Amino acid sequence: MYELFVAPLFETYFQKALIGGSVVAVVAGVVGCLVVLRRMAFLGDALSHAMIAGVAGGYLVMKMLFGLEAHAPGMLLGSLLAAVVTVALISFVSRISRVKEDTAIGIMYTGVFALGVVAVSIFRHYIHIDLMHFIMGDILGVADADLWVGAFVAAFVLSILILFFRQFQLTTFDPVMAASIGLPVLFLDYLLTTCVSLVVVSAVSMVGVILVVGLLITPAATAYLLCDRLDRMMMLSALFGVTSVIGGLYLCVLLDSAGGGAVMLFCTLQFVVVLTVAPKYGLLARWLRLSRMVPQQTVEDILTTILRHGKPAPLSIIRQYAENTKGLGKALRQMVRDGLLEERQGNYGLSKKGETEAAKVLRAHRLWEAYLDRIGMPQEALHATAHHLEHLQGRETADYLDEKLGRPGVDPHGQTIPARKENGPEGKASR
Amino acid sequence: MTTDSSNTRNSLNSIGPKAVKYAIEVEHLTVSYNARPALLDVTVRIERDQLVGVIGPNGAGKSTFIKAVLGFIKPDIGSVKIGGVDVRQMKGRVAYVPQRGAVDWDFPVTVREVAMMGRYQRIPWYASATPADREIALEALHMVRMEEFSDRQIGELSGGQQQRVFLARALAQGSDILLLDEPFAGVDAATERAILEVLERAKKAGKTLVVVHHDLATAAEYFDRLILIKQRMYAYGTPREVLQEELLSKVYEGRLRIFGTVFREEAV
Repeated sequence: MYELFVAPLFETYFQKALIGGSVVAVVAGVVGCLVVLRRMAFLGDALSHAMIAGVAGGYLVMKMLFGLEAHAPGMLLGSLLAAVVTVALISFVSRISRVKEDTAIGIMYTGVFALGVVAVSIFRHYIHIDLMHFIMGDILGVADADLWVGAFVAAFVLSILILFFRQFQLTTFDPVMAASIGLPVLFLDYLLTTCVSLVVVSAVSMVGVILVVGLLITPAATAYLLCDRLDRMMMLSALFGVTSVIGGLYLCVLLDSAGGGAVMLFCTLQFVVVLTVAPKYGLLARWLRLSRMVPQQTVEDILTTILRHGKPAPLSIIRQYAENTKGLGKALRQMVRDGLLEERQGNYGLSKKGETEAAKVLRAHRLWEAYLDRIGMPQEALHATAHHLEHLQGRETADYLDEKLGRPGVDPHGQTIPARKENGPEGKASR
Repeated sequence: MTTDSSNTRNSLNSIGPKAVKYAIEVEHLTVSYNARPALLDVTVRIERDQLVGVIGPNGAGKSTFIKAVLGFIKPDIGSVKIGGVDVRQMKGRVAYVPQRGAVDWDFPVTVREVAMMGRYQRIPWYASATPADREIALEALHMVRMEEFSDRQIGELSGGQQQRVFLARALAQGSDILLLDEPFAGVDAATERAILEVLERAKKAGKTLVVVHHDLATAAEYFDRLILIKQRMYAYGTPREVLQEELLSKVYEGRLRIFGTVFREEAV
């Protein structure tokens, strides 16, 4: 236990990875919420790929002009420039041609990425960039410069997002209203894109080009499943980012695997767990909701069966007439709970509310029979078809039939059609 | 027209009773996209405290009209004045209620927060919302009877409730002019009544409401004034004046089926 959990904490590489990773994960998580809500996920991918051209360019320029080897600020500036140029190209192409935005993103980022790869290999004698390192990242080999970049970016981006939280919230949620009250919507869009670029640039050195988009959107999407407010979603997303880094680093020590991969794997597992168990938007909750629901048709069949029986009916009678006998017991219990039925010594009788509902269905059934008879459907098919159609929603349907048939009063079998009740459960007469 | 200084100051927050006669003045408005006119020489003066319907066939420039009144587009010629001030000079005087289809209902935002958005234009960027802002937002929710749903996520509401929340946001903005984009689209008859009731109440509270509407059958019943546009202004006046058979058949070009006195737009 000690070996696994405490010993790594005394290793410098582990400390740096933990601190650097957490700082980047917090800011990626927060800005990622806006990325997810604006459906910009693919853009994060594009930015990270475009970076390599910028890094190569920055490296080359600094070396040629100033003779500086692997100048970090130069490469950072280069990546930002490349990111901005890529975004500009994407919006330019999608605006002036018939090519849609998702395709434009795909074209531009692969193009700029390819340019970077070619540049790095042509100038391999001048610039020493390890492509594999760049693509896969190395969270366990975080350089001090990367730490400083990460800290600076985090401070800058978080300040912007906190300061302009309302503005970002509104332009993301309702850009038209935002513009109508005079918010600089376009400027805010650029500001956010710049923030995303900064975060991507600072995160690439740790998790690499391929995984950075995951760090940006997975914690945010995880929080999205749990929150109904943007501020809380951002806080939770930051937390999930940090837990991914911590969990991932231990996973990497335990399995002796690649650092960036382990972090993203842990992050994804976290998402899958939340997706399963989230109380409101999770799969289990959804499944439970569905299984608790009793189909309206079963409810209506039970109601009319008891109404036709004329007195409280035992389960055996109900089973005989109901079309769908599966889950009948559950349906009956639910209906007692909903106040539609009353149970007395194994017999189920209609409550006042149940009676009203049953009469409504019966009315629909008999009106449908009358209508089907009128349009010339053979006698033997009347009941089955009407039985199916009686479950159509909305009282307007039955009213329409009633009116169309000239308020017949009796159905083809000579049975009375219940009159329309004005005081339904909605308590509102519509006219 | 000359206004004295007290009226000018007053008009920053609300249009004073005697300041300007009209809520919205559109003068010779012409807007074009790529040499194609979307609106041509539209002139209309909308009086205050009215419920006004904007009608016209699809592609008639209704949404361009909205954008112009919100101050989003620079007209080729002409101007839009809100309470006597050019709309492009002063944003936020017109509160906008979007179409239901334009909203992401899964967005993590509660009813209370949506109403609070109505206050954003009054809060300086460096400050946070004051208790007074919260009070006003809650009041607006009360007015549309959505108070008890304050902490619900907006996607959990019914269509009519959603529409009312956005109405509350517009009311919280404190503007005297509300612009609604098809508030009755995709809601059932009972909900339509409930929304109309809230609109009527807002009107009584001194608001001017401009509503884009496409059901001619209900237009006469719902609105005090109608604007009939198709690129050009065809008519502005009471429903009786505007819903003339001759006028409508000209604008809708035979896409109307006529049932006695009730007109319905036929699905094309």
